[in-house]
Amino acid sequence: MARARKVFFRRRKVCKFCADKIDYIDYKDVKLLQQFIPERSKILPRRISGTCANHQRPLQRAIKRARHLALIPFTTD
Amino acid sequence: MRTYEVMFVVDPRVSDEDVVTMTQEYKNMITAGGSQITSEENWGRRKLAYPIDKLNEGKYVLLYVGSETGKNSLHEVEHRMRQNDKILRYLTVRTDEDLKRAARRQPAGGAASGGPSGAAGERAGVDEDVAPGGAEREEGV
Repeated sequence: MARARKVFFRRRKVCKFCADKIDYIDYKDVKLLQQFIPERSKILPRRISGTCANHQRPLQRAIKRARHLALIPFTTD
Repeated sequence: MRTYEVMFVVDPRVSDEDVVTMTQEYKNMITAGGSQITSEENWGRRKLAYPIDKLNEGKYVLLYVGSETGKNSLHEVEHRMRQNDKILRYLTVRTDEDLKRAARRQPAGGAASGGPSGAAGERAGVDEDVAPGGAEREEGV
Protein backbone atom coordinates (compact mmCIF):
# COMPACT_ATOMS: atom_id res chain seq x y z
CA MET A 1 0.00 0.00 0.00
CA ALA A 2 1.55 3.15 -1.14
CA ARG A 3 0.94 6.03 1.09
CA ALA A 4 1.28 9.50 -0.24
CA ARG A 5 3.05 11.53 2.32
CA LYS A 6 3.85 15.11 2.04
CA VAL A 7 7.24 15.88 3.30
CA PHE A 8 7.91 19.30 4.60
CA PHE A 9 10.22 20.56 7.15
CA ARG A 10 9.08 21.74 10.47
CA ARG A 11 11.34 23.08 13.12
CA ARG A 12 11.86 20.44 15.71
CA LYS A 13 10.45 21.45 19.02
CA VAL A 14 12.43 20.80 22.13
CA CYS A 15 11.31 20.84 25.67
CA LYS A 16 12.43 24.09 27.22
CA PHE A 17 13.00 22.50 30.60
CA CYS A 18 15.14 19.72 29.17
CA ALA A 19 17.15 22.17 27.13
CA ASP A 20 17.68 24.64 29.94
CA LYS A 21 18.10 21.89 32.54
CA ILE A 22 15.41 23.25 34.79
CA ASP A 23 14.44 20.40 37.06
CA TYR A 24 12.43 22.13 39.69
CA ILE A 25 9.64 24.21 38.25
CA ASP A 26 8.87 26.80 40.83
CA TYR A 27 5.41 28.31 41.12
CA LYS A 28 7.01 31.57 42.25
CA ASP A 29 8.93 31.98 39.00
CA VAL A 30 6.29 34.05 37.28
CA LYS A 31 8.51 35.01 34.40
CA LEU A 32 9.11 31.41 33.50
CA LEU A 33 5.48 30.40 33.81
CA GLN A 34 4.31 33.34 31.78
CA GLN A 35 5.97 31.83 28.73
CA PHE A 36 3.47 28.99 28.92
CA ILE A 37 0.33 31.00 29.28
CA PRO A 38 -0.66 32.72 26.07
CA GLU A 39 -3.12 35.58 25.70
CA ARG A 40 -6.19 33.81 26.99
CA SER A 41 -4.18 32.63 30.00
CA LYS A 42 -4.76 29.02 29.20
CA ILE A 43 -1.98 26.55 29.77
CA LEU A 44 -0.11 26.06 26.54
CA PRO A 45 -0.58 22.46 25.37
CA ARG A 46 2.36 20.19 24.91
CA ARG A 47 1.72 19.81 21.23
CA ILE A 48 2.33 23.51 20.79
CA SER A 49 5.09 24.18 23.25
CA GLY A 50 6.94 20.92 22.74
CA THR A 51 7.40 20.40 26.45
CA CYS A 52 7.98 16.77 27.34
CA ALA A 53 5.44 14.95 29.46
CA ASN A 54 7.77 14.74 32.40
CA HIS A 55 8.04 18.48 32.53
CA GLN A 56 4.54 19.41 31.45
CA ARG A 57 3.15 17.79 34.57
CA PRO A 58 5.12 19.83 37.12
CA LEU A 59 4.65 22.87 34.93
CA GLN A 60 0.91 22.46 35.05
CA ARG A 61 1.05 22.09 38.81
CA ALA A 62 3.20 25.18 39.16
CA ILE A 63 0.84 27.24 37.02
CA LYS A 64 -2.15 26.17 39.06
CA ARG A 65 -0.40 27.04 42.28
CA ALA A 66 0.59 30.42 40.95
CA ARG A 67 -2.97 31.05 39.86
CA HIS A 68 -4.25 30.32 43.30
CA LEU A 69 -1.94 32.92 44.77
CA ALA A 70 -2.96 35.45 42.11
CA LEU A 71 0.53 35.55 40.67
CA ILE A 72 -0.82 34.75 37.24
CA PRO A 73 -4.39 35.11 36.00
CA PHE A 74 -6.98 32.41 35.44
CA THR A 75 -8.44 34.23 32.49
CA THR A 76 -8.15 37.50 30.71
CA ASP A 77 -11.33 39.09 29.57
CA MET B 1 14.11 16.38 56.69
CA ARG B 2 10.92 17.68 55.22
CA THR B 3 10.81 21.15 53.83
CA TYR B 4 7.79 23.24 53.19
CA GLU B 5 7.01 26.59 51.76
CA VAL B 6 4.20 28.60 53.22
CA MET B 7 3.12 31.56 51.21
CA PHE B 8 0.30 33.89 52.03
CA VAL B 9 -1.20 37.07 50.70
CA VAL B 10 -2.28 39.73 53.13
CA ASP B 11 -4.77 42.50 52.62
CA PRO B 12 -2.82 45.57 51.46
CA ARG B 13 -4.65 47.81 53.92
CA VAL B 14 -2.85 46.09 56.75
CA SER B 15 0.21 48.09 57.68
CA ASP B 16 3.68 46.68 57.18
CA GLU B 17 4.28 46.50 60.92
CA ASP B 18 1.11 44.50 61.40
CA VAL B 19 2.16 42.16 58.64
CA VAL B 20 5.42 41.60 60.49
CA THR B 21 3.70 40.89 63.79
CA MET B 22 1.25 38.61 62.04
CA THR B 23 4.08 36.75 60.38
CA GLN B 24 5.85 36.49 63.70
CA GLU B 25 2.77 34.93 65.21
CA TYR B 26 2.67 32.25 62.55
CA LYS B 27 6.40 31.71 62.87
CA ASN B 28 5.99 31.16 66.58
CA MET B 29 3.28 28.64 65.90
CA ILE B 30 5.52 26.81 63.46
CA THR B 31 8.51 26.70 65.78
CA ALA B 32 6.29 25.66 68.68
CA GLY B 33 5.15 22.74 66.56
CA GLY B 34 8.67 21.38 66.26
CA SER B 35 9.81 22.85 62.95
CA GLN B 36 12.15 25.66 62.20
CA ILE B 37 12.05 28.61 59.85
CA THR B 38 14.94 28.21 57.44
CA SER B 39 14.39 31.49 55.72
CA GLU B 40 11.84 34.11 55.04
CA GLU B 41 10.97 36.44 52.22
CA ASN B 42 8.81 39.46 52.21
CA TRP B 43 7.79 40.42 48.72
CA GLY B 44 5.86 43.41 49.92
CA ARG B 45 3.06 44.97 47.97
CA ARG B 46 2.42 43.33 44.65
CA LYS B 47 -0.29 43.60 42.08
CA LEU B 48 -2.71 40.69 42.00
CA ALA B 49 -3.33 38.96 38.70
CA TYR B 50 -7.05 39.18 39.36
CA PRO B 51 -9.04 41.04 42.00
CA ILE B 52 -9.72 39.23 45.25
CA ASP B 53 -12.48 40.69 47.42
CA LYS B 54 -12.38 43.74 45.18
CA LEU B 55 -8.74 44.32 46.04
CA ASN B 56 -6.15 44.69 43.34
CA GLU B 57 -3.05 44.40 45.42
CA GLY B 58 -1.72 42.17 48.11
CA LYS B 59 1.27 41.80 50.37
CA TYR B 60 3.11 38.58 49.85
CA VAL B 61 4.97 36.78 52.58
CA LEU B 62 6.89 33.57 52.10
CA LEU B 63 8.22 31.26 54.78
CA TYR B 64 10.54 28.35 54.25
CA VAL B 65 9.98 25.72 56.87
CA GLY B 66 12.11 22.71 57.70
CA SER B 67 10.96 19.87 59.87
CA GLU B 68 13.52 17.33 61.03
CA THR B 69 11.10 14.82 62.46
CA GLY B 70 8.27 15.29 60.04
CA LYS B 71 6.16 16.61 62.85
CA ASN B 72 4.78 20.04 62.27
CA SER B 73 1.95 22.32 63.10
CA LEU B 74 1.29 23.54 59.60
CA HIS B 75 -2.20 22.21 59.72
CA GLU B 76 -3.02 24.47 62.63
CA VAL B 77 -1.27 27.35 60.94
CA GLU B 78 -3.42 26.87 57.87
CA HIS B 79 -6.47 26.66 60.06
CA ARG B 80 -5.59 29.98 61.64
CA MET B 81 -4.96 31.55 58.27
CA ARG B 82 -8.35 30.42 57.06
CA GLN B 83 -9.96 32.17 59.98
CA ASN B 84 -8.01 35.34 59.50
CA ASP B 85 -9.93 37.48 57.05
CA LYS B 86 -6.90 39.69 56.47
CA ILE B 87 -5.34 36.79 54.62
CA LEU B 88 -6.58 36.63 51.09
CA ARG B 89 -4.75 33.51 50.02
CA TYR B 90 -2.36 30.99 51.44
CA LEU B 91 -0.56 27.99 50.09
CA THR B 92 1.54 25.35 51.76
CA VAL B 93 3.70 23.19 49.57
CA ARG B 94 5.98 20.38 50.54
CA THR B 95 9.17 20.82 48.57
CA ASP B 96 11.77 18.31 49.74
CA GLU B 97 10.71 15.51 47.43
CA ASP B 98 10.63 17.62 44.31
CA LEU B 99 13.92 19.28 45.14
CA LYS B 100 15.50 15.95 45.84
CA ARG B 101 14.28 14.59 42.56
CA ALA B 102 15.66 17.63 40.79
CA ALA B 103 19.00 17.22 42.51
CA ARG B 104 19.16 13.58 41.48
CA ARG B 105 18.52 14.39 37.87
CA GLN B 106 21.30 16.91 37.92
CA PRO B 107 24.08 15.72 40.21
CA ALA B 108 26.11 18.84 39.52
CA GLY B 109 23.63 20.66 41.71
CA GLY B 110 22.84 24.29 42.06
CA ALA B 111 19.96 24.09 39.62
CA ALA B 112 16.98 24.23 41.89
CA SER B 113 15.96 27.80 41.51
CA GLY B 114 14.37 29.63 44.36
CA GLY B 115 14.47 26.68 46.70
CA PRO B 116 15.78 27.02 50.21
CA SER B 117 19.52 27.01 50.03
CA GLY B 118 21.10 23.71 50.83
CA ALA B 119 17.90 21.74 50.42
CA ALA B 120 18.96 20.62 46.97
CA GLY B 121 22.23 19.32 48.26
CA GLU B 122 20.91 17.17 51.05
CA ARG B 123 20.58 13.71 49.67
CA ALA B 124 22.49 11.85 52.31
CA GLY B 125 19.72 9.60 53.59
CA VAL B 126 19.13 7.21 50.71
CA ASP B 127 15.87 5.82 52.02
CA GLU B 128 14.22 9.12 52.46
CA ASP B 129 10.92 9.57 54.16
CA VAL B 130 8.54 8.53 51.44
CA ALA B 131 5.31 9.27 53.27
CA PRO B 132 2.74 7.83 50.90
CA GLY B 133 -0.20 9.67 52.37
CA GLY B 134 0.84 13.25 52.65
CA ALA B 135 3.11 13.75 49.72
CA GLU B 136 2.13 17.35 49.67
CA ARG B 137 -0.55 19.51 51.03
CA GLU B 138 -2.26 22.08 49.00
CA GLU B 139 -5.38 23.74 50.08
CA GLY B 140 -7.74 26.23 48.63
CA VAL B 141 -9.54 28.95 50.43
